[in-house]
Amino acid sequence: MDNFNDLENVKSYLLERLRGASSLDDISKIKIEFLGKKGFLGKLTSDIGKIPLEQRKNYGIRLNSLKEEIEAQIKVYEQNFKGDVDKSEYTDLYKSLPGRKPPVGHLNIITQAIEEIVEVFAPLGFNRVRYPEVDREYFVFDALNMPENHPARDEWETFFVDYPEDEKLGKLVITPHTSSGQVREMLKGNLPIRMLNISRCGRRQIDISHVPSFYQFEGLVVDENVSTANLIGVLDYFAKKFFGPDRKTRLRPYHFRFTEPSFEVDIDCGVCHGKGCKLCKEGWLELGGSGMVHPNVLRAGGIDPEKYTGFAFGWGVERAFMMKSGTKIDDIRYLFSNDLRFLEQF
Amino acid sequence: MNVSIPYSWLKDYIKTNASVEEIAESLSLHSFSVEKIRKTDGDEIFEIEVTPNRGDALSVLGVARELRAVLPVRGFKCEWLPREEKFTGKINAADRIDVVIEDKTLVPRFSAIIMDKITFGDSPKLVKERLEKVGIRPLGNVIDVTNYMMVDKGQPMHVFDYDKIVGGKMTVRESREGEVITTLDGVDRKLPAGVIVIEDGGGRLIDLCGIMGAKNSEVDENTKKILLFVQVYDPVRIRRASMTLGHRTEAALRFEKGVDYEGVISALWESVDMIEKLSGAVVSSDLVDIVNFSRETKEIEVDAEKISRIAGKEIKSEDAFSYLNSLGFEKSKTRDGYVIVPSWRYDDINVPEDIAEEVVRLYGYYNLPVKLLEGAIPIVETSKLFYWEKTARYFLKYNGFFECYTYSATDKEKAGENALKISNPLNEEMTYLKTSLLPQLLDVLDKNHGYADKIKVFELASVYLPPEPDSKEKIPYQPVRLGIATHGVDYMDLKGIIEALFEIMGLNYDDVSEAFSHEIEDFGGGNLGAEINFEPIAVKATKLRSYTPLTVFNSIKEDLTFEVPEGVLYRQIEKTILSVDKRIFKLGFKDVFKNYLTLSIEYLDKEKQISSDDTQEIRKKIFKELEKIGVRLKV
Repeated sequence: MDNFNDLENVKSYLLERLRGASSLDDISKIKIEFLGKKGFLGKLTSDIGKIPLEQRKNYGIRLNSLKEEIEAQIKVYEQNFKGDVDKSEYTDLYKSLPGRKPPVGHLNIITQAIEEIVEVFAPLGFNRVRYPEVDREYFVFDALNMPENHPARDEWETFFVDYPEDEKLGKLVITPHTSSGQVREMLKGNLPIRMLNISRCGRRQIDISHVPSFYQFEGLVVDENVSTANLIGVLDYFAKKFFGPDRKTRLRPYHFRFTEPSFEVDIDCGVCHGKGCKLCKEGWLELGGSGMVHPNVLRAGGIDPEKYTGFAFGWGVERAFMMKSGTKIDDIRYLFSNDLRFLEQF
Repeated sequence: MNVSIPYSWLKDYIKTNASVEEIAESLSLHSFSVEKIRKTDGDEIFEIEVTPNRGDALSVLGVARELRAVLPVRGFKCEWLPREEKFTGKINAADRIDVVIEDKTLVPRFSAIIMDKITFGDSPKLVKERLEKVGIRPLGNVIDVTNYMMVDKGQPMHVFDYDKIVGGKMTVRESREGEVITTLDGVDRKLPAGVIVIEDGGGRLIDLCGIMGAKNSEVDENTKKILLFVQVYDPVRIRRASMTLGHRTEAALRFEKGVDYEGVISALWESVDMIEKLSGAVVSSDLVDIVNFSRETKEIEVDAEKISRIAGKEIKSEDAFSYLNSLGFEKSKTRDGYVIVPSWRYDDINVPEDIAEEVVRLYGYYNLPVKLLEGAIPIVETSKLFYWEKTARYFLKYNGFFECYTYSATDKEKAGENALKISNPLNEEMTYLKTSLLPQLLDVLDKNHGYADKIKVFELASVYLPPEPDSKEKIPYQPVRLGIATHGVDYMDLKGIIEALFEIMGLNYDDVSEAFSHEIEDFGGGNLGAEINFEPIAVKATKLRSYTPLTVFNSIKEDLTFEVPEGVLYRQIEKTILSVDKRIFKLGFKDVFKNYLTLSIEYLDKEKQISSDDTQEIRKKIFKELEKIGVRLKV
């Protein structure tokens, strides 16, 4: 009889039995069956007398390690039913304590908003870019069909930078909108264009809904046969993905020098869903401006307006995020306050 | 600019079966946004946000004209009411005014008329009520008429006390630097050069044109004779003057947006008629009407195909013409397929795209189909920067950092040396553009001092440096930087975080030249800060990893402690050890106490199982090489 072989057989048999166990009781029975005095191990131990003398030492070692293995194996299966083997009188208290968390920090919600926006537009083929926050007047106004001294320049509370003026490109300014990237994108010379420009801007304003530094996201599409219907399609897609599938948008006539026609985009109020409430204007909230790119802007970008058309929209990142139902942020200045008690909530 | 238009006043012009709410909605969807309907004294007042291109609509007449086109589109009736005939009274041309215009571009149209036998007094109830509804204080019949007409027709006007105009003479000219005028509100205003003013025969300034009249020629209860004054001024000069003086009056806001060149004379006669009725005055001079402009009829093509292409839906030519006609654009008599731009839209409508906007907005944007983009998706390379920014942000977040966003501008001290200055800052705290992210981040640490024992913050944003010499456009160099600031964090821990980030970016801490714009610095009080040149390192960063074949052999690891003499630094020791033998697989820093440095070394032979004899041999070589730089095994 090959006792060594028996040792191996015991191991595989044990596994077989354990896998078949369905309760802690079963495990206890198996424990006795294998480790009890009359169990397998007991039998193998009492067999030691039959082992040739020169092999006895080795057999003993093997037996010991088998015992350990069996015990360990049973323990593992026991835990499946018990959870914790070392049950003490404090176990329940210990288990009720919070775990030790790794030190997880927080991203600002501006970052979260930007990520969400990028994710919405990416499947539509919009390529993310970033243009300088401090730029020349030419790109901010002139190239956008707003000549010098035009009253339209008033609409943007522009910061000027104290630096020598350029004869052709004018003064240095903090871009009050991301639209300054439109002509820069066109001048790259790659057509068609599907641009998503998310950049930092600045305006001379500070109150509960304005901060002097903020982010805008600007979509620009230039291609053959781009129409207002496409603009509506894209904005509607954005609204449904970003705000929720039940939300609706509408365009209202507006005026920007760099688009013709120009629109203001509204989204139905997330609180009253179009019925009209304190938060909104007759059931609608203003998302921001948009329009079909003005032929003069296309020309400034070196694009033939007879062949190509395009649309653009440029909205505030923070504003759009705050308009999502549920954020409950009533003062935009919090986003730049860097108060950790605020940041930790996101 | 917002304008208040009472519904009762609109009824002077139109009759409709649309309700107040329906009127508001029609305007919002087709013309301009009605922000609010204000209800007072049984009347409803529309608060309308008129876009800057539509100076023509800053009046009851303008809004009525718009409704005439818009309401029928929405299925409502809108009847244009006939107006009473204009002034028919007699003219006894006893008085005259001499006018000198130094520069014709100052005042494209100059009209005036003198009226005598004024009885100054209150206006009738209707006039006073209407003015009050739109936020204008009644000041007496003659003055009220000018304000009334401004709201009614969109044409600002002014009345002088004729007898206060010395010599009955007016010179329209540009101001000289430093001239002073006392305006009707009693404020002395020192003028820059280039403001349009009127000087009388006595050399006095009697009008700050287009903005506000002067005190010295104002109408009062003793006034007997007036000069009614209706002009079109150069909008650019008015705007510049009004902005420079910080005096933005209703008149100036209208003039700078452009008034209807052709509406001047009819507005003047209507005012004459009203003044006559309200004050018993009679006309006592001929009409002065100096026309300093010549405008050709502006005709623009109505290209139905182009309009349909812009809309994304077919719009028929006859429909386009019908919409345009309702807005006052008549068909050209000489050119087929063209319309004539009405005088009140002259400056706003220039190209076929402008015509398309008029047509499509009347057609209704809500009637257009909703279509996603149809063309091919452009294939362009996306900047790697965004990927690495995101990676860095999440890495730091999961290492306990809070992400900050600070303002681009700060005070002089925090902005750093050579910072660009803002010419028109909001306040002292935001006067210079930052050249480093650190000072504001350190501020954040201080501000949040009590938050926790350990505070870790970062910001990933641009700094603003003066233009580089090779910048063609001379725009500031605005590289993205990663600013990191911590409170209560050990130097080694912070360094480890940055090293790990570099590792994720596929970079070696030491291999990246100029990785730091500011190396880790102890700012005192437990605050550490560092700033990384994120943009250039993101360019070098890589996701690419090439794999080294795994061996079947085991390695042997051991820790060794060395005594390091002064002047020898870690990198030198590391380099020395690694160059001893290629079987030194890994070398790591484990611990340091005083100058006793514990390193963990892992030996591996890829060809065969390494033995303790092998490692002993390598170890000896290590000792020998380290000995040369004075580093010895600690005994």
